[in-house]
Order: sequence, then C-alpha cells, then structure tokens
Amino acid sequence: MPFQYLPVMAQNSAPKPPRVLVAPSKPAWCPIKKPLDESRVALLSSAALRLAHQEPFIPREDFGYRRVPSDPSAAEIIIDHHSGIGRVPKQDPEIVFPRTALANLQKRGVVGDLSPFHFSFMGGLRDHDKVENQLATAITSDLKQAQVDLALLVPY
Amino acid sequence: MIGTAHDIMSKVAPPRAVFVDHPVGRTFGPPHDRARNEAVLARALEELPKFSRSGEIRDPRFQWSIDGSRAWEDELLAEMRNEAKG
Repeated sequence: MPFQYLPVMAQNSAPKPPRVLVAPSKPAWCPIKKPLDESRVALLSSAALRLAHQEPFIPREDFGYRRVPSDPSAAEIIIDHHSGIGRVPKQDPEIVFPRTALANLQKRGVVGDLSPFHFSFMGGLRDHDKVENQLATAITSDLKQAQVDLALLVPY
Repeated sequence: MIGTAHDIMSKVAPPRAVFVDHPVGRTFGPPHDRARNEAVLARALEELPKFSRSGEIRDPRFQWSIDGSRAWEDELLAEMRNEAKG
C-alpha cells in the first residue's frame, strides 16, 4: 500500500483544518497528437524554482511563475518552496526537476525536442480559482507560444 | 503528472498520472544519481501511450530500495513530523 500523505498533512496542520484538495473544474484530458520522439516537451514544477537573478517567490501568495531554461548548463536553480521536505531536494534539485535527465533523453532521441524553457510556480496555494484561472491560464499561453506538445508536471 | 503521493493524486485527478513509489521530494531518486534520474523519467514516459481515460493513475512499480524494503517510510514520517515542529 502506498504511503498515505494526507493523514500526516492533516496532523501537521492541526489545529488548523486540513488542506482542501480540488480537482480541475473542467476535464483536462486532451489527446496525444504525436509520439514522444516527435514531441516537444516542457517540465512544470510546483517547487517554486528560479534562477538566482529572478525574482524570489513570495510564500503562500505568489500566483506568478518563472521560466527556467531547459539547457542544464544554464545557471544554478534555487528552490523557494517553504516545505520542510525540501532539505534533500535543495541538495540536488534534479531529483524533483529532472532537467538534465530530460535533456539526455532528447539527445538519445527518446524525446523529440525540448521547450526552450521549463516552468515553475509555488505549490500549495490555497486560492484554487486563481490557480486555475490565472496561473494555469498564463502558463498555458506560454506553453502554446513555445509550441509544446507535452507538459510534464512534477508536483513538489 | 509524475508524482509520489498516490493518495493526493487520486483526489486531484490529473489527466494522466504516473505513480513513483519513492519518498516525497525524491521523485527521480536520491541526490546526485543521474543514471537513476534518467531511468525513472524514461520509465515513466513509457506509460504515456497506455492511458485511455482522464484521472487514470498508472503504477510501473518503482521501488525506492533495491530489496523492496519500506524502511524509508519511517524515516519520511520522522522528517515530516520534524517539519511540523520546526
């Protein structure tokens, strides 16, 4: 049986009520139009990742996002997310944001192409309407502009 | 989506989800293990053509420990409880 996170999160948040989880208001399914080896891929991360020169995320209320270059040699990544489990991934963000692994798969021809940028935002935001209608909409626009075929979300 | 929290993924119903049975915050393996990062990502992506409906969670049976031990759950629990105190 998989590890159960929700009871631990509920205990951790007490005496405040546990976090409310919300599914998208509309079905998010869309068909896959190309095989993976012909697809342009972008990573999405809720770890609040950014480069050092980019504006830091504001915990709990930042509905913006940052573009992170998909080239693994481009500048070191900082994790702004406030979660305590960040001690380990802050040693090596690649374990939650596999930028190098994805670039290697593209070199091997497993993945067709990389989006010039990956995208990151603050996970755990509580205003779900804003997440869906402001944050997700803005990222979707960027994904379309970058002609991304497959957006791969890695929750933090 | 590629995620480690099966119970959360089942509640938020992403269109396509691959479950990685690793501790949260280590989705693609331990720090600085690039071979494992790539192996996990490649294996997860192999699931892509197999999805047939929205909300499906596919489980390729990833294991954190080679021997299948789940001792990591106790360590993670302690880490999460320390997080709450800290």
